[in-house]
Amino acid sequence: MRIKSGQDFATGLLLAAVGIAAFWIGADYPMGTAQRPGTGVLPRILAWCLIGTGGLLLVKSVYSTGSPVGSWSWRPLLAVTLGTVVFGSMIDNYGLVASMIVAMTICALGTAETRWFEFAVFTLIMIVASWAMFIWLLGMPIKAWPTSLVPFIEQMLR
Amino acid sequence: MDFGSLPSDLWLGLSACFTIKWVTILGIQVPIFINIFWCLMGALIGTAIGVLPGVGPVATMALLLPITYFLTPEGALIMLAGIYYGAQYGGSTTAILINVPGEASSVVTALDGHAMAKLGRAGPALAMAALGSFFAGTVATCLIVLAAPPLTKLAQQFAPADYFSLMVLGLVLAIVMASGSLLKAFGMIFLGMLLGLVGTDVNTGNTRFTFGIGDLFDGIGFVIVAMGMFGIAEIISNLANVTRRDLVSSKVSGLWPTREDFRRSVAPIFRGTVLGSLLGVLPGGGAVLASFASYSVEKKLSDTPEKFGQGMIEGVAGPESANNAAAQTSFIPMLTLGIPSNAVMAMMIGGMMIHGIVPGPQVMEQKPALFWGMIVSMWLGNMMLLVLNLPLIGIWVKMLLVPYRLLAVAIMFFCCVGVYSLNNLHTEIYFMALFGVLGYVFIRLGCEPAPLLLGFLLGPLMEVYMRRAMLLSRGDPLVFLQRPLSLAFLAIAALLLLFVILPNVRKARETAFQE
Repeated sequence: MRIKSGQDFATGLLLAAVGIAAFWIGADYPMGTAQRPGTGVLPRILAWCLIGTGGLLLVKSVYSTGSPVGSWSWRPLLAVTLGTVVFGSMIDNYGLVASMIVAMTICALGTAETRWFEFAVFTLIMIVASWAMFIWLLGMPIKAWPTSLVPFIEQMLR
Repeated sequence: MDFGSLPSDLWLGLSACFTIKWVTILGIQVPIFINIFWCLMGALIGTAIGVLPGVGPVATMALLLPITYFLTPEGALIMLAGIYYGAQYGGSTTAILINVPGEASSVVTALDGHAMAKLGRAGPALAMAALGSFFAGTVATCLIVLAAPPLTKLAQQFAPADYFSLMVLGLVLAIVMASGSLLKAFGMIFLGMLLGLVGTDVNTGNTRFTFGIGDLFDGIGFVIVAMGMFGIAEIISNLANVTRRDLVSSKVSGLWPTREDFRRSVAPIFRGTVLGSLLGVLPGGGAVLASFASYSVEKKLSDTPEKFGQGMIEGVAGPESANNAAAQTSFIPMLTLGIPSNAVMAMMIGGMMIHGIVPGPQVMEQKPALFWGMIVSMWLGNMMLLVLNLPLIGIWVKMLLVPYRLLAVAIMFFCCVGVYSLNNLHTEIYFMALFGVLGYVFIRLGCEPAPLLLGFLLGPLMEVYMRRAMLLSRGDPLVFLQRPLSLAFLAIAALLLLFVILPNVRKARETAFQE
């Protein structure tokens, strides 16, 4: 038995796995009555549908030829995901400016094409523009500077 | 059918569009037509992202959804709508000038449009694309005006069972029309529905699939899923294969088409408008399918099919009219039934829900100013685009000089800020990152994310209607087959499924997509 379509095989595996997981997690959700269907009815139906679809895809991947999954581009995947996560972890305490610089730099590492001088200028423009837009114009409750730095900056300005 | 109230409705829409707001600029009170302003902004942003390859209307609307929170509901929806039809205009510009289709819907425009540009006839191609789009947009808007009231009346008589079956039909249509594997489209819809169930079950108060995470008790936000799948995932995928765009500077001279051009374009524009209007209404259809269909129709009807690809103006006028008509008529099911027919309409529904408007047939009665204002704004927006687009072509082409490596960074940042601005929860940014990775996995596996998004929106709704129907029928599942409307919807859905599963039809469908 040889797998003729990597994409179909992987999708089938993924769907079936999610279906089994959903079935397992949702096993103790109450089913209710026919007149008042409970919490567990649709999850159970969907779990079966997912397992069925996944299974059919697995069978299909053996019989009909299709595209392989191909190579993964780890660099942009890691850089963009990490940049997003880092932005999330910084925004509450370190404010917009610091989060932007760190997150955008990590994201820019995702491609070999980044030219750093150009990137620096662009980042500066982006910081000014997004401060003007989000904090000044729209008045979003986002801090511009790190929480711990704010009293320090205020002293400097006094 | 009673159209007696149409003039007053349209007048209401018009006055909603021309709402005046006094704004203080530099200490001076200035009156501006606030909704016209947002319409213009939406149309311009739409054109801009239409020009840029790798940035689509879905991602842009997802990015702007949180910002629309700060606008009035009218302004928000008018702007979001503008982005969609603006993108149809913008996509053709770069397709014709530099053979880079900015949107999937203008891929076929590039074939003959760019060939015309090479012959030094970029001007007529651009003008004809814009005129065709405008004509199609006008007709399609009239169609919405005529079709919306009767459809809304019909929808108001729907029982829960009818709604449930209609949604089943909608999802089946989305599967049938989706390009690519049927099984995968099924899987994506089921997965989306499952994701939609995460959170607290409104009927019983039980939580589902929350893994004890408090921020999941309210369910996963639509914006988070959309931004992850269409924003973050697209950046990852596009960064992986950055293609160099060489700017071929072709002088645009002699903008006005000749009499001969007009003569040859009239019929394709008409046919494209009709085809696009029909395909736009169907779920899963929309602009992309319409433009492809129109191109192949024009090629079949032409006396000289072999000349297509060498600069036939029919190959520009037809598809461009079709994609704009489809972009407009795809609003019909969303506005009248509250059912999204594609990912863009899912965004519009997301925009409504941010403003606390429940999409459905009641919108027309409860928010007439919003409903008619949006429809009228579409026509005004099309007119503005027609006037603005051609003089601004120089700017759009310059915009292509912004390299994708910078755009990608900016999009990532806007996604983060956008999600954070919803609830000021940093955990939601993590969820978005997760959906980004998931979206990239789907791209690698050849699965389309749009059906997932439709399932995500419709899944919870279907559950609500299923429960109501079962309650009303005292637990008799046959209610879905006893109501004539419901039975009809389910029968059509079953027939469609049967058709696509039959092998010979499937083959025909595959070749149709290859054309």
